[in-house]
Amino acid sequence: MSPDFSIIGKPTAMVDAAEKTTGAGKYTDDLSVPGMLIGKILHSPYPHARIDRIDSTRAEKLEGVVAVVIGKDAPNPYGILPVGHDEHALALDRVRYVGDNVACVVATSEAVAEKALELIDVEYEVLPAYFDPEESMKAQTDLIHDNKPYNLEKDYHHVFGDPDQGFVEADEVSEARFISNEVTHAAMEPHSTLASFELDPHTGKPGRLTVWSSTQVPYYLQHKLSLVLEMPMAQIRVIKPLVGGGFGGKSEVIPLEIIAAIAARKAQAPVKITYTREEVFWAHRGRPRTIIDLKTGVKKDGRITAVKARVVQDGGAYCSYGVVTILYSGALLGALYDIPNIQYDGYRVLTNKPACGAMRGHGTVNVRFAFESQLDELAAKIGMDSAEIRRRNLLQPPCITVNGLRVQSYGLPECIEKTVERSGWKQRKGKLPKGRGLGIACSHYVSGAANSIIRSDMPHSTVNIKIDRDGGVVVYTGASEIGQGSDTMTAQVAAETLGCTLSRVRVIAADTDLTPIDIGSYSSRVTFMAGNATLRAAAEVKKLIAAAAAKKMNCATDDLVFRDDAVVRKNGHAGTDHVGTAAVGRPAERSEAAASVSGHVEGQILRGSLQQKRKDQGPKDSLTFEEAVVAAIDFHGALTGTGSYAPPPEARGGKHKGAGVGPSPAYSYSAQVAEVSVDEETGEVTVHKVWAAHDCGRALNPVSVEGQIIGSVWMGMGQALTEEMVWKDGMLMNPGLLEYRSPSSIESPEVEPIIVESIDPEGPFGAKECSEGSLAATIPAIANAIYDAVGVHLHESPFTPERVLAAIRARKNSKALNLTEGVDPTAPTRFREHGGSLWFKGKGPERHPLDPARSQTPTGGAD
Amino acid sequence: MKKQLIELRVNGRTYEVATEPSALLLDVLRQELQLTGSKRGCDDSSCGACTVLVDGVAMMSCTLLAASCEGQEITTIEGVSEHGSLAAIQKAYGDWGGAQCGYCTPGFIMTVKSLLAENPDPTGDDIRAALSSNLCRCTGYNQMYEAIRSAIQAERKGLAAAK
Amino acid sequence: MSLPQFKLLRPRSVEEAVAHLAEHKSNLRVLAGGTDLIPSMRQKLFEPEYVLDLRGIVAMRGINTGAEGGVKIGALTSLRAIERSDYLRQHYPVLTEAAATVASPVLRNMGTIGGNICLDTRCLWYNQSLTWRKGCGFCIKKDGDLCHVAPGGTKCWAAFSGDTPPALLCLQAEVEIASANGTRRIPLRDFYTGLGDTYRRLQSHELVTRVFLPASSADYRGVYRKLRVRGSIDYPLAGIAVVMKRSNGHVADARIGITAVNPAPLLVEGATALLAGKEMDDSLAEAAGDLAAKTAKPLTTSALTPEYRREMIRVFTKRAVLAAAN
Repeated sequence: MSPDFSIIGKPTAMVDAAEKTTGAGKYTDDLSVPGMLIGKILHSPYPHARIDRIDSTRAEKLEGVVAVVIGKDAPNPYGILPVGHDEHALALDRVRYVGDNVACVVATSEAVAEKALELIDVEYEVLPAYFDPEESMKAQTDLIHDNKPYNLEKDYHHVFGDPDQGFVEADEVSEARFISNEVTHAAMEPHSTLASFELDPHTGKPGRLTVWSSTQVPYYLQHKLSLVLEMPMAQIRVIKPLVGGGFGGKSEVIPLEIIAAIAARKAQAPVKITYTREEVFWAHRGRPRTIIDLKTGVKKDGRITAVKARVVQDGGAYCSYGVVTILYSGALLGALYDIPNIQYDGYRVLTNKPACGAMRGHGTVNVRFAFESQLDELAAKIGMDSAEIRRRNLLQPPCITVNGLRVQSYGLPECIEKTVERSGWKQRKGKLPKGRGLGIACSHYVSGAANSIIRSDMPHSTVNIKIDRDGGVVVYTGASEIGQGSDTMTAQVAAETLGCTLSRVRVIAADTDLTPIDIGSYSSRVTFMAGNATLRAAAEVKKLIAAAAAKKMNCATDDLVFRDDAVVRKNGHAGTDHVGTAAVGRPAERSEAAASVSGHVEGQILRGSLQQKRKDQGPKDSLTFEEAVVAAIDFHGALTGTGSYAPPPEARGGKHKGAGVGPSPAYSYSAQVAEVSVDEETGEVTVHKVWAAHDCGRALNPVSVEGQIIGSVWMGMGQALTEEMVWKDGMLMNPGLLEYRSPSSIESPEVEPIIVESIDPEGPFGAKECSEGSLAATIPAIANAIYDAVGVHLHESPFTPERVLAAIRARKNSKALNLTEGVDPTAPTRFREHGGSLWFKGKGPERHPLDPARSQTPTGGAD
Repeated sequence: MKKQLIELRVNGRTYEVATEPSALLLDVLRQELQLTGSKRGCDDSSCGACTVLVDGVAMMSCTLLAASCEGQEITTIEGVSEHGSLAAIQKAYGDWGGAQCGYCTPGFIMTVKSLLAENPDPTGDDIRAALSSNLCRCTGYNQMYEAIRSAIQAERKGLAAAK
Repeated sequence: MSLPQFKLLRPRSVEEAVAHLAEHKSNLRVLAGGTDLIPSMRQKLFEPEYVLDLRGIVAMRGINTGAEGGVKIGALTSLRAIERSDYLRQHYPVLTEAAATVASPVLRNMGTIGGNICLDTRCLWYNQSLTWRKGCGFCIKKDGDLCHVAPGGTKCWAAFSGDTPPALLCLQAEVEIASANGTRRIPLRDFYTGLGDTYRRLQSHELVTRVFLPASSADYRGVYRKLRVRGSIDYPLAGIAVVMKRSNGHVADARIGITAVNPAPLLVEGATALLAGKEMDDSLAEAAGDLAAKTAKPLTTSALTPEYRREMIRVFTKRAVLAAAN
C-alpha cells in the first residue's frame, strides 16, 4: 500500500498556471528595459565559405543604427561540451552552414536593423561543401574544421560480450539499414535574449552583466558568457524568465545569447535579440538525420543473442552535444532488455548544415526505432507474438548491464502488461479489418546523466530553503522551469516534506544571483536530482523545526508528525486520527485557522496575548506550522536549510572510453501500443489511439506526468508521420511552421497515459523521469502497426504518405512510380535530397559537384 | 515613414497610439500597449499564438495591420479574466494540464472563447476542429479537451447557480 | 521580421478603391484578409509604396441571390461565411466544401473569397525570406532569372494553391473586375494565365469585386478532395473538385477541376465528354482519374514529391467522381 501523502501524488495545477492562462507571465521577448535596443543578425547565404572582408560602413551610417558587431569583437571560441569548443558566436573567418552568424546590427528598431543588414558588404570565397555524412567522411580537403580529419567529429567502437559468438548461436538473424530523417524541437517560443550592463559605482565603467534568456541551462550560459566575454562568472547574472518550451533546443548556449551580450557591450546599451522562426530552424540543435545499420540475432525462444549497430549521424557544422548524442545511441542499446552481446560503432560526422544537438530522447530515439522495428521482424520470423518477444528479454534487476549501466527499479514488465491489457492486444491483434493494425514497442530513458558534462565533483543540484517568522517557505533552486512543471515539483516536494500547504511555498528559480547551482533542465534530470536536493534541504529545515517543536511539546522529535500545516504528536489526543483522514481535503480551512491564531484577528495583533495564553496552558499536543516555525527561529536564530544531490558512484558506469554517457541513477520505462489505419491507395496513415504505459517511479503530480507522457508520445508521432527537415544541398527547404509540419489537433490521436510506479529506491519519493522516455517507443509502435495493417516494413522515417504508398505499391508489384525521389523507404540506402536544382549553367551559387541537375531533367517535368 | 495617430479599442478601453502604417496589431499590442500576453510564434501566419478577438471573431493579430483595426473592438487574453478572477476556461486550463510551457495558451484560450461564444455546447469534433487553428508543441492537445469540457460544465453550473 | 514600410490607403467604397488603384497602379498591393499578403511582405516578396486596405468596404461583403437566378458573392466575403452559408451548401455544395478546407478556422475568419481567387502562386523556392532567397540565388518569379524546379526552363512553375477556384471553375463562375473605367465580367476560366509568375489576367489598376455563380450550375452534386499532410493549416498539395448532375442512374453532366499541381487551377478537359451519359462505375472513375492526372503537371514546388501529387490527383479524382455519383 502506498504511503499516505497529503501533496505528493495528488493532481495539482502548476504553480505558475495562472500566469500562463492570463498572459501575465513574462517570457524573455515580453521584457523591455529603458533604453533597450534591438539586435538583428546577418546570416551566411553559403554553406561553406571563407570570409575575406566585412564592410559595415554603409550600415553604420544608417539613421538609427547604433553598432555593428562582428566576430572580431569576441574572438574566443566556445561550445557546450568542453571537448567541443568549436563555435564562435559570430564567424571569425569561415561560415559553415547557410544561416551561420556573420554580423549583428544594433538599432533603435527592428525595421531599421533589418534594413541595415542589407547594407553590410561581405566578401565570401565559396568553398566546396559537404551535405551527406557518408560523403563527408571521405573528405581529404576543405575540411569543415581543420582539426577534424575526414570531417569526423568523433567515433566510438564498443564491444561488450562476444557478439560474433552471439550471432553464431542465434536461430534467426536480421540485418538492415534504417534511416531517420532530421527533426527539430520547434518549441513555440522563438529564442530570445536580453542583455544589459550596469555601470560599476567604483570604477564608473561597465561592470556587471545581466542576461535574461530563454534557456534550459542558465548556469552553463553564465559559464560560456564568462569564457567569451572574458568576465568573471560572478560578474554575470543569468535570469531565466518563463520559457516557452525547450525540448533540448535551449539546452545549450545558442549564438544569440552570446551575441546579445557582445552587442550590449559594444552598443553601450541594453540589447534584445529575438529569433525569427527561420533563425530558430538555423539555430536548430535538433535530432540529426541518422543512418542505422542494425543486426540482431534471436533464438527460437525469442531470447536476443547479440546486437550489432553501426550508426552514422549527420551532425551539422559544429560539435554541439554531438559527442554525447553518438554515445547515447550506443549506450542505450542497453538497460531496456537483457542483451548479452553488443557491438557498437558510432560515427558523428560534420556536414555543412546547422548543428544538431540534444532533442527530447537525446540519442536514443532513432536507434530505438530501428531496434524495435527489427525486433518485430524477428518475432514474425520465429512466429512469436511481438509483445511476447519483449517479455522474453526482460532484465532481472537489480543488475548491471553488459555495458555497465546499473538498473534498480524496472517497471517495464508492468508497462507491457498494462498496455497489452488496455489495448485489447490479445483479442484484437491480427483480427482487425484490412488496413487497420496494432503495433507495440518499448523504450526507456535516463533520469539525468550520472556524469555532468563539465567534469567535477560538484553536486548536480543544490537547493536552499529559507523560512521566516511569517511562516512563508521560500525555496531557491537553480532548476529551470521550461513548461515541464519543475517549479511545481519543487514546491510539492518541499511542502510534503515540511508538512505545510502548497500555498505557503514560493519557488525562486533559475537566477544565478539568487539561486544555487543546478546544471539545468536536460536529460530529464530535474525531478530526480533537483527533487532530491529539495527533499534534503527541506529535511534539514524540518529537523530544526522538529527540535524546537519537540521541546515545546515535551516529546521526542521522532514522535512528531508534520502534515497539513501542523506539527502534531503521534500519540497525543490530536494524534493519528487528526493526521489521518480528518485533515485531508481541508487544507485551505486549516491554513486559514492557523493564520488567525498567530497573526491578525480583526486587525489586531494578538501574538503577545496568545503567547501568554499558551504558556498558561503548558505543553501542547500540536502546533500550527507557523507556531512551530516561530519556535524554531526563537530556538535556532534562523531557519534555513541546504540540500544537494550528486549521483552515487555506483551509478556512474563502466571504465571504457565513452562510458561516462548512458549511466543514470535510474531509468524510466515505457511500453506502447499504437492503433493505426492505412489508406492503401494514398498511403495516408491515421493514428487512432496510443496506449502508453510509463514507469515514472512515482507520479509526484499525476496530471503533469500524464501531460508529459502524452506530449512525448505526440512528439514521437510527429517524427513518425509528418515532421521532416527537407534539405537541398544544405538549404533547409522548410524553415517555418507552415512547411515543417508539427501536427495539428486534427491528426493528433487520443493518447491514453498509463502510469506505472516502480518506486525507485533513490528517487525523491521514488520518482524517476517522465518527460522523454515515452517518445522513442511511439515511432516503432506506429511502424509496427503499419506492418500489421498493410504488411510493409518501413525503414525510413517519417512515414509520409508517399513513402508508405511507395512501399505498398512495391509489395503489390504495381506500376512503378518514382514517389520517393529514388530512395526505397523499405530499404533506404541514402538520405533523401529535395528535388530541383541550385545549380544551372554557372548561374547562381554552385552547390555540389554531384548536383543531379547537371545531367538530368527534373521528375514530373513538362512531358 | 511618419507615425500616425490611431485610436484602438482594446479590452473595452480606448487607446491613442502613434504607429507606422505598416505596424502589425500584434506589435502594437505588445510594444506600445505592453499587452504581452499575445505571442509571436511564427512568421507565416501558421501558429495562432497571437490570436485575438476582433469584434468577437478570432483572428491572428500578427496578420492584421493595427491601423486597419480602427473602429473595431479588440479583445486580448488580458481581457479574458472576469471581475478580477480567472475565467472558467483559464482555471480549467490550469487544473487539467491544458497549459505546459504556456506560450501557446493565450492564443488557444482566445480560440476557445470564440468557439464557445458561437457554440456553447460543442461536440468533441467541433472542439477538435476549432483547436486546429493553433499549434501547441507540449500537450498533444489531449488535456486541453478535458479542460474545455470541464470549463463548459463549470460555466453551466455557474449559470444554474445564478438563476 | 518587420513589414516593409508603406503608406496605407483605407477606402470606404469600391469607387474610392479603384480611384486609388488608378493613381498608384504598380506601386500598390491590395490587402483583403491579409493571410497571403502579410506573410509575403514579411519575406520581402512585395515592397509596395502603397497598401490598399479593403477591409472597410462593407459593400464588398455578402452573399446575395440575384433576381435573374444565381448568386453574387462579394469578393471580401470571408471563407468562413461561405463555408457556413446554408444557401450555398444546399445549391453549390462543392464551394462550401472547398472553402471549409482552406487553411484553418481562424485563417478562414480572415481570408476572403476574392483573396483565394487572387492567391499568389506558391513554390518552396519562392515563399522564403529574403536571406534564404539570396542563398538559392533567387528565381524567375522574384529577383532572379533561374528556375530551380525546372532547370533550364524560362517559365515559372510556381503552383496555384487556392482551394476554392477549382470548385468555382466547375461551377462556371464569373468574376467582376472593377476599375476607374467601369466594370467588366469574365469567366473565371479566363482569369488565369497558366504561368507561375504573371499568373492572373488582372491589370494593375483593376480590382476583383464580385464572384457570380450562374443559376445553371445550381444544384449540382459537389465534392472537393484535398491532399495535405496535416488536417488543418496546410495549403493544398493537390486538390480536386467535382460537380455532377445525375439523371436516370446516369451522369447527365459533370466537370472536374484541379488545383495546386499547375501554375493555374484548371478544368480537366474532356472530363464532361468522358462522363456525360455514362453509368458511373469503377472503370469510368478510373478513366476520369487518369484524365485528371494527365492534366496535372506538378513539380518540386512543395515538400511532397511531384509523382506522388500527380498520383493523388488520379486517386482523389476517382474517389470524388464515385462520391459525387453515389
